[in-house]
Amino acid sequence: MIEAAVSMPRLFAEGAGTLNVNLTITPGSLTALVGPSGSGKTSLLRVLAGLETPKQGRIVVEKQVWFDAGQGINRRPQQRSIGYIFQDTALFPNLSVRENIAYGASADGQTLVDELVEATGLNAFVHEKPTRLSGGQRQRVALARALVRRPQLLLLDEPFAALDDPSATQLRHVLLDLHRAWGTTTLLVSHHDADVRVLADRVITLVQGQIQEQPHRTTPAKRERIDHIYFDEATRQWVIETATGQLRSSDVRWQQATAGDFVQIDWMRSQS
Amino acid sequence: MLFVYAMPIDWEPIWLTLRLAGITTLLLLLIGVPLAGWLALSRFRLKPVIESLISLPLVLPPSVVGFYLLLAFSPTSAFGAWLLRTVDLQLVFSFPGLVVASLLYSLPFMVHPIQAGLENLPLSWREASYTLGQSPTRTLWRVLLPNCKPAVLTGIVLSFAHTIGEFGLVLMIGGNLPGQTRVASIAIYDEVELLHFDTAHAYAGLLLGLSFAILLLVYGINKRVTV
Repeated sequence: MIEAAVSMPRLFAEGAGTLNVNLTITPGSLTALVGPSGSGKTSLLRVLAGLETPKQGRIVVEKQVWFDAGQGINRRPQQRSIGYIFQDTALFPNLSVRENIAYGASADGQTLVDELVEATGLNAFVHEKPTRLSGGQRQRVALARALVRRPQLLLLDEPFAALDDPSATQLRHVLLDLHRAWGTTTLLVSHHDADVRVLADRVITLVQGQIQEQPHRTTPAKRERIDHIYFDEATRQWVIETATGQLRSSDVRWQQATAGDFVQIDWMRSQS
Repeated sequence: MLFVYAMPIDWEPIWLTLRLAGITTLLLLLIGVPLAGWLALSRFRLKPVIESLISLPLVLPPSVVGFYLLLAFSPTSAFGAWLLRTVDLQLVFSFPGLVVASLLYSLPFMVHPIQAGLENLPLSWREASYTLGQSPTRTLWRVLLPNCKPAVLTGIVLSFAHTIGEFGLVLMIGGNLPGQTRVASIAIYDEVELLHFDTAHAYAGLLLGLSFAILLLVYGINKRVTV
């Protein structure tokens, strides 16, 4: 279990305020953190990673105290079991793709590096420098690099923001496959509803540094009649179309639904 | 080449100047790179004090620096006497003294470009390295320094060129001892005093050509240095 209760002064889009978050994350889950720009999403990730220090609070990960203002405990980023994907990928331009991925690996971790290269489909580019890669390829390198230490907590800061649709879709699949295979507890900051619909087990909305109690809704929460349901081979997702919108998921239980059934959108998400 | 050797000059001051600049630059590289790295990465509260001390030679007249170093290195001072007693080293009017004085005087020319180069790199590279479990030292050597080669090269060249051009400091600390402390800039001054303008021209022309060649080399290399 990951428990974070932190508080720190922050400058938000609407002015000065306090980032005040009390959050519990289930191990193995993929939680999406959404909210308007400048609402404190990235700050929360940075606090969890140890890149910023909250004024008050406590962060406990699997019974290990990473931060406790009261007891003066503050583990450095190096001492926290995290993987962090930065918005700009932060790949090291002087190192090749393989060297980037292997940078944080332990001495006996070369097999794991090979596995990650394979899983992220980067075999053809291992000797290339990151500057020669596309945005999607760079994000896959960043993902592989972040997982190379087998982190307890994977933090992703807008990994799809700068990608075109096909690249974003491909990266979502890679991320989802790796998440299912490895079960790494993941916190994803995103502006994109597609990320939330496809990836997240749970959605948390942050507004001006405060968690909003109501669940994030990308579609109406009421029961709606399914007009069409089909499997999209290109994206490997089930697609449900209703009168007001379209839902997508990789959850195989969606195949049990048929046209004419009623679907409770929040229920579907909570079961996935 | 024949023309150069045919010039009516004593070559000792030229070789001495190059030896002083070479040794100073090499030692500055060993001291300046870790120091610049520490200044770029550290949040130490007294960092501005350290930065001010390093930068002092930029604003002080060389004679002021030379005067204080002369006092400090003198065998009559506590430090000078201790050096003489423990390692039998006299820094005033000696080549080792010139090296030590040049190290202090040229330190900002090595540290500032490298520190600025490191500080201009994206913060996320450093943070990414930390989240991957790496220490600041390893981050500096594996990620940051390899990505600011032009800044390191600029530091090397500025330090070398600045040491070649030292005059006031050398005169204060080293005096004018042939073969030990009589560097090219001092030799030029001597020749002008003696109204030997041809010889002064030869020394000055050599330094001018050497300095231009070094800068040309650096700008040429800097264009080619890509990550």
